[in-house]
Amino acid sequence: MQSVDTERSATETDKIVATGVHRVFGGTGERVHALGPVDLAISDGEFVCIVGPSGCGKSTFLRMVAGLIGPSDGTIEFTTHRSGQSTSMVFQEYSIFPWKRVIDNARYGLDVAGVSKKEGNRRAMEYLGKLGLAERAKSWPDTLSGGMKQRVAIARALAVEPEILLMDEPFAALDAQMRQILQEELLELWQADRRTVLFITHSLDEAILLGDRVLVMSSRPGRIIADIRVPFERPRSNTIRTSHEFTELTSELWELLRVEVDDESAGTV
Amino acid sequence: MSITDQDSAVRTERRTPSAADRDPARFLRRRRISDVVLAVGFPVVMLTLWQIAATSGWIDRRFYPAPTDIVGEIRRTFQDNPKGNWWVDIGISVQRMLWGYGWGVLFGLFFGVTMGMFRTLRVTLEPTLNALYTVPKLALIGIFLIVLGFDDKPLIAVIGVTVFFFVWMQSMVAVMTVPDQLQEAARSFESSRFQLFRHVIFPSALPQIFLGLRVSAGVAVLTLIGVEFVYSPGLRGIGYRINNARTVLDPLQAYVGLLVAATLGVVFVTVIKVVGRLLTPWSSNDRTVL
Ligand SMILES: Nc1ncnc2c1ncn2[C@@H]1O[C@H](COP(=O)(O)OP(=O)(O)OP(=O)(O)O)[C@@H](O)[C@H]1O
Ligand SMILES: [Mg+2]
Repeated sequence: MQSVDTERSATETDKIVATGVHRVFGGTGERVHALGPVDLAISDGEFVCIVGPSGCGKSTFLRMVAGLIGPSDGTIEFTTHRSGQSTSMVFQEYSIFPWKRVIDNARYGLDVAGVSKKEGNRRAMEYLGKLGLAERAKSWPDTLSGGMKQRVAIARALAVEPEILLMDEPFAALDAQMRQILQEELLELWQADRRTVLFITHSLDEAILLGDRVLVMSSRPGRIIADIRVPFERPRSNTIRTSHEFTELTSELWELLRVEVDDESAGTV
Repeated sequence: MSITDQDSAVRTERRTPSAADRDPARFLRRRRISDVVLAVGFPVVMLTLWQIAATSGWIDRRFYPAPTDIVGEIRRTFQDNPKGNWWVDIGISVQRMLWGYGWGVLFGLFFGVTMGMFRTLRVTLEPTLNALYTVPKLALIGIFLIVLGFDDKPLIAVIGVTVFFFVWMQSMVAVMTVPDQLQEAARSFESSRFQLFRHVIFPSALPQIFLGLRVSAGVAVLTLIGVEFVYSPGLRGIGYRINNARTVLDPLQAYVGLLVAATLGVVFVTVIKVVGRLLTPWSSNDRTVL
């Protein structure tokens, strides 16, 4: 079920290609084979969701795509077309800087890219506004709630308008309403300019609602055990949740994951 | 929820707002007043007890002069008089201390930050610096005298070297313990190494660095007085006068000297603390009285 997809038109170029990617942690002591082998091709403008059991290497894979850590083996290639920043990432844990006010956090990527402060502020405010944080622009992060901090991190990643957006369970800390609002916001932003998105989630609903494709990963060492194309038309809205196909797809994914989690708890690597 | 049971009495728990919850502004205002009362009240009470003990003869007033005696002595000797003007000595001592502290901080920060950031440098220098750290700095005065000459420089050097180790160690550890998560967040935006330092490593380390600066401000005063006991060019300086009071059996002057040294220490440490607070407004600070 991997990679090559017959429906894909020939004009579309592959944006990210991973071949034989592994990652092993630990040097001299205990070694952990976190991930691999992973082979994968993602086309330009695709919204790809990744699901898999906890600890299977999803965050590790994203960090490799972002270039924060290198693969232990194999290659990850991607092509970019603009001069600006190619990837930006929303991290699983809070990663905004406590010593910068909300707006300065949101502007961070623009600052280091040398964008003027005026233009930077304008763009940071634009995204803070979209995420409902315009009022708190001058606040210190320590005075925000967990979900608000996460929204600042999302604004910071979006403000640089990257070609590839990497999101590691970005909505996990949010309440159901905010989650739904942000899902719709993200879909809208994505539909407007079709960036390539890699989106990790534990919520199968979320994966199906947002993704063009859902990749299912095995338990550690993570491999891609299924690559499922989501059949729903775009633009999508939350109403698809009630459809028959949606339920069917969810249970299909659920079954795949259940096997993996069982495997793991049985001690099979 | 209450469970009715024959044997146990029925109990209801209630959560109600305390006075502080109802009117936090008023609570904070009052707490600030009580903070000041406590912080000022304690030394005042102690001094009063001391005064009573001295004047009523419970303690020997010649060796433990009453606070009022010391105040009288201060009034007399802070102007020109046969015993010499204290202001001149304070000025000279403060100058020595600031030079020593300044050099110590400068080198301490430089080595601390660079060694925190670059592993190779750390591996190369750390064992040597650790070894030097334990050398008693006062013992260096003889060497510094020979190398630097008989003026303020050896004294400044001893203070500087002492301060250096405190600042170096604290800032190196501060830089090394910057959370990876925050560094990765910055690197994900393709920050250059310098940008990473300026936007993440340095601010993240700053609160702890200031702790080091505060500790070493106190250490600078201690070292100053200590060195002036054994070496004080021009026979001037707070430490010299305290030591001199001992040799001429003038305990009042020694007490004045101790008071001056303590005041200098408090002022200096507080200045560093306030500067630190202004430069790290994001970190929750301990704002009791000052
Ligand atoms: N820096 C590291 N050093 C050692 N092991 C690591 C490191 N980072 C990750 N691992 C290990 O690699 C494996 C995969 O971790 P990763 O964070 O990628 O999981 P994940 O799929 O994102 O899990 P979750 O869904 O819980 O976030 C785990 O077993 C983890 O313990
Ligand atoms: Mg993860």
